[in-house]
Amino acid sequence: VGPGRAGPRAAAGPGRAGADAVSAPAQGGGSAVIDMENMDDTSGSSFEDMGEMHQRMKEEEEEEAEGEAGAGEEEDGEFLGMKGLRGQLGRQVADQMWQVGKRQASRAFSLYANIDILRPYFDVEPVQVRARLLESMIPVKMINFPQKIAGELYGPLMLVFTLVAILLHGMKTSDTIIREGTLMGTAIGTCFGYWLGVSSFMYFLAYLCNAQITMVQMLSLLGYGLFGHCITLFVTYNIHFHSLFYIFWLVVGGLSTLRMVAVLVSRTVGHTQRLILCGTLAALHMLFLLYLHFAYHKVVEGILDTLEGPNMPPFQRVARDIPVVSNAVLNTTAKAIALTL
Amino acid sequence: RHYGGYEYPQQGGFVPPDMMQQQQPYTGQIYQPTQSYTPASAQSFYGSNFEDEPPLLEELGINFDHIWQKTLTVLHPLKVADGSIMNETDLAGPMVFCLAFGATLLLAGKIQFGYVYGISAIGCLGMFCLLNLMSVTGVSFGCVASVLGYCLLPMILLSSFAIVFSLQGMMGIILTAGIIGWCSFSASKIFISALAMEGQQLLVAYPCALLYGVFALISVF
Repeated sequence: VGPGRAGPRAAAGPGRAGADAVSAPAQGGGSAVIDMENMDDTSGSSFEDMGEMHQRMKEEEEEEAEGEAGAGEEEDGEFLGMKGLRGQLGRQVADQMWQVGKRQASRAFSLYANIDILRPYFDVEPVQVRARLLESMIPVKMINFPQKIAGELYGPLMLVFTLVAILLHGMKTSDTIIREGTLMGTAIGTCFGYWLGVSSFMYFLAYLCNAQITMVQMLSLLGYGLFGHCITLFVTYNIHFHSLFYIFWLVVGGLSTLRMVAVLVSRTVGHTQRLILCGTLAALHMLFLLYLHFAYHKVVEGILDTLEGPNMPPFQRVARDIPVVSNAVLNTTAKAIALTL
Repeated sequence: RHYGGYEYPQQGGFVPPDMMQQQQPYTGQIYQPTQSYTPASAQSFYGSNFEDEPPLLEELGINFDHIWQKTLTVLHPLKVADGSIMNETDLAGPMVFCLAFGATLLLAGKIQFGYVYGISAIGCLGMFCLLNLMSVTGVSFGCVASVLGYCLLPMILLSSFAIVFSLQGMMGIILTAGIIGWCSFSASKIFISALAMEGQQLLVAYPCALLYGVFALISVF
């Protein structure tokens, strides 16, 4: 039991040190660099631990079996004692397994669920956010020199949530009914799916076309491009004119698309590559705005034609004009009805 | 039989004062009356403990004075918030406010306790992650839930207004916008005073405004 207990503890030492070394760079100064050397620490891996423990358990059981065979005559008196020892062994094994499992889980958790990696991307001032929002609508002119993209995630995240809120508002005012799922789930799924999915796809294309852009920059670029979508939808969900929507789609959507396209072009070399990247981005961006307008607010047009609006006056009875008929006809009709009844 | 101070066990169980004494030893297990009849445990600690017991509210952690102070802080948006009031996590007040919000919605004909619960849980989680990323010192989930729950109080005013008047006209839009602004302004004021994040009040207020906007959406529609 002595050497058995010392084994896992010895393995725990370097394991813990490894975990500390991993978390330390993130705590000191907020750098997002993880020291990869210390991650390759398999001395505390569960397979080896389990293998070691299993081996020791087997050896101990063999020893115990020999002891039991030898002391078989005294079993009557020490029956409870032997059983107690077996139970204690079982409990120790369970305890050790629990410790190892817990250590593994906490190490994995502290490594993968460490949101401190994202900390530098949220370090912004309100002035910066406002400046970037306005800049996202202004196309740059200089495309021969790679344009700077702010690798920031606060603005894009807030814009995605704003889009979710606007979609919800639009769905509620038009009484859209979602049959499979909830309004909130649909809105969140659509907006986050677009932001994350199209960013990943564009990053993949950028990798193929040799563009110089990182994933965070792509997320940031696309996220700020949603500012135009938010403005357009906010206005056109409340003022219902088709032509107004098309004007906004072209002007506002177009401006934000031009900005994103110009930034990408400045970071890509080669005509074909530029065409592929920018064509895809422009198409996806503009089509998404079209989709959002038509899929989530279509019902309102039908309602507007028949109703005055949400604050309808109660149903009113209007007298119909009855054509003038002679008394004789009326009397005959009344008698006929009375007979049939 | 020695029941440890149980003076007359032979009689028909008529011992009301001792009965009460025995049923509330300070073990925090008031719902297990059978425990009080075991002689071994009852022997050691019931004689002097009835006087030493803390009051029930203190045991539960409900401090009415603090609740009132925090409520006043929320209701006066221009009053400077004290950063230390959020040191102890108090979820009794927010729980009452959420239930009151659900109750006022019920009075307006909307049975949406589930939505209130789900949105407040997800919203608190989102704000917790965001504030942990944005602040130098971290923040606990209980603190975030507590602040967001207290700042729900003006939203109760909005939903009680919605019982009588419809909020879908221009008046309703202005009132809703005002109440959302009030809630998010109070919440961000408390957060930045508790986390020492000067200059970032607008950045904290905006996500709060989005969250309270969803609550307002439930009230209005």
